[in-house]
Amino acid sequence: MLQSQKHVFWQALIFTILIFFLGIIFGLILENWRNSKVEDLYSKSEISMLDIKAQTEVYSTGFYNCEKAISENILFADKVYNESKVLDRYQKSSVLKTEEIVLQHEKYDILRALLWINSIKIKNQCNASYYNVVYIYKYHSGELEMIARETVFSKLLGELKERKGSEVLLIPLASDNNISSIALLMDRYNISKDELPVILIDEKIKINQLTNIDELEKYFEKKHVVLNKTKNQEIPLSLKNSLII
Amino acid sequence: MNILPIIYLSYMFISLYMLILFLMLYIKNRKNFFSYPESNQKLWVSFCVPAYNEEKTIEDTLKHINDLDYPYIKEIIVVNDKSSDNTRKIVERLKKKYKKLKLINNKVNLGKGGGMNVALKIAKGDLFAVVDADSYPDKDSIRKMVGFFNEDRVGAVTCVIVARNENKFFEKIQAIEYRVIAFTRKLLDFVDAIWCTPGPLALYRKSALIDIGGFDTKNLTEDIEATWHLAANGWHRRMCLDTSVSSTVPTKFKPWFKQRRRWNVGGMQCIYKFRKSLGKQGMLGIFIVPFFILGTFLGLFGLTIFGYLTTTRIISKYLFTKYSIIAGTPIVTFKEFYITPNFLNYLGITLFIFSLIFTLLILNILKQKLLKRENLLIIPFYMIIYLTVYPFILVTAIWHMIRGKRIWR
Repeated sequence: MLQSQKHVFWQALIFTILIFFLGIIFGLILENWRNSKVEDLYSKSEISMLDIKAQTEVYSTGFYNCEKAISENILFADKVYNESKVLDRYQKSSVLKTEEIVLQHEKYDILRALLWINSIKIKNQCNASYYNVVYIYKYHSGELEMIARETVFSKLLGELKERKGSEVLLIPLASDNNISSIALLMDRYNISKDELPVILIDEKIKINQLTNIDELEKYFEKKHVVLNKTKNQEIPLSLKNSLII
Repeated sequence: MNILPIIYLSYMFISLYMLILFLMLYIKNRKNFFSYPESNQKLWVSFCVPAYNEEKTIEDTLKHINDLDYPYIKEIIVVNDKSSDNTRKIVERLKKKYKKLKLINNKVNLGKGGGMNVALKIAKGDLFAVVDADSYPDKDSIRKMVGFFNEDRVGAVTCVIVARNENKFFEKIQAIEYRVIAFTRKLLDFVDAIWCTPGPLALYRKSALIDIGGFDTKNLTEDIEATWHLAANGWHRRMCLDTSVSSTVPTKFKPWFKQRRRWNVGGMQCIYKFRKSLGKQGMLGIFIVPFFILGTFLGLFGLTIFGYLTTTRIISKYLFTKYSIIAGTPIVTFKEFYITPNFLNYLGITLFIFSLIFTLLILNILKQKLLKRENLLIIPFYMIIYLTVYPFILVTAIWHMIRGKRIWR
């Protein structure tokens, strides 16, 4: 009787492999579903982005409707910002399809780089009063210190966005996804990889030291905008961690 | 894919395998799960009660042995291992009452294994029953266990151990654990893989014990060692689920921890002693030794991973808190509580639910009175908290091994 029962070890192994295989398939389905959801969001955003770009081109020919251009740009930026939060959550919970989700992230980075370029254009053409706040960070950083800093930076910016609403166009960009346009933009605004994470306000003020929200808000007071615009780069002493480009 | 998910998946696979193995064994054998063979021979039993400072319980233990409904009791040998309390006086007094009672007073403390070997030398019975001096066998226990010796190569038979004290929370958890152990031990019986015939009540064929040279006095768990040794020499070990012996479980954490550490040290001593059996000598080398080695490795490796994850999390939290204070951002906000579980979470929860159902099934099958609504919370606690302590015990056991602290008590 005992001898015949020893087959149970193999039988249990086969059952375990089967159940485990089902589990892995479930995991793949779940992560595929999440990836396709991000893919859907991305496709829609891509269309919106192309539309905005086309609009900007139209405006440059002289058909100006700055108000519309600005509001659509801000709405789009907000949409992409919210989508990036979803992407972030899915990415954190991704186990099997990590490469695909990284690819999605890269696509979004290109989209956001385009948004930034477009936003600079609109600001120049329309003399818009909103602020371009670009947050450049290391995406593949494994250092605990860097991850903690980046987490606080993004929280800080999230809070800023809540306070300022459509006054601020918030664009988070990963610096280390091998995207040439982002590298070029970083070069253009003199941002090196060593000083990341960096907040760049209106392509003029660079912040790479943690500061509190009230201090950060001071950059957005009207007088600074005027000062910046008149190139009278007078910054309050309290903003000692910032750098005027 | 990162290394951590692979590790998680490996652990899940092994846990799932064990769960399925046990479930399959139960399903295949559920009809004769509680059955026991009637004895077809007249086998005389010599009882051995090793005692060291057991004045509180030994009288009741001897009473329970005397009250057994098995007619062929040859003798009851109490080995007083140089107790410093009234154990000797109590047994001497009881000798007048129980005619089959014999008392051996060791001049030096020989330890439990040594004491039992002394009794084995003078035992006259065909079977040698070991009963811990704080354990009370059920009236029908020996009668129900003896029938398993109808098979010539059965060397030892064990039964269910129940916690006598199961009123406090900590005792109730151990009571659940004892039931789970009894259930799985019976399942292992069907594949001849019983790896322990525990001290509270174990019935040995005397010739089998002589064959293995008696109990190993150097091993902290002489019962595990004897069982492995029997397996190595081709003796089968069986389990009777229809009877039990009650034993006192530790009521406080410290003695419990010490007891479990001793079990772990004994287990590792056995791994070392029988390491050459790996892959040989039937179920000992195919299942028991690999199972113990794997368990030790998984426990240590799991603890290392746990330590690494906990440390990095603490450092991350510290840095995050430090920077949050600098930036004046809230450390925790409700907005962050998005639940986006990954598929490992789903698998883990599924596995946990299966294990929970399995535990409930065990308690239900064994008609456990702990399975009351008010006690249901204890079962998840047992599974999540209680079992998590085991790897820590393993580490302390290894530390004790390294330092050469091999003290039975």
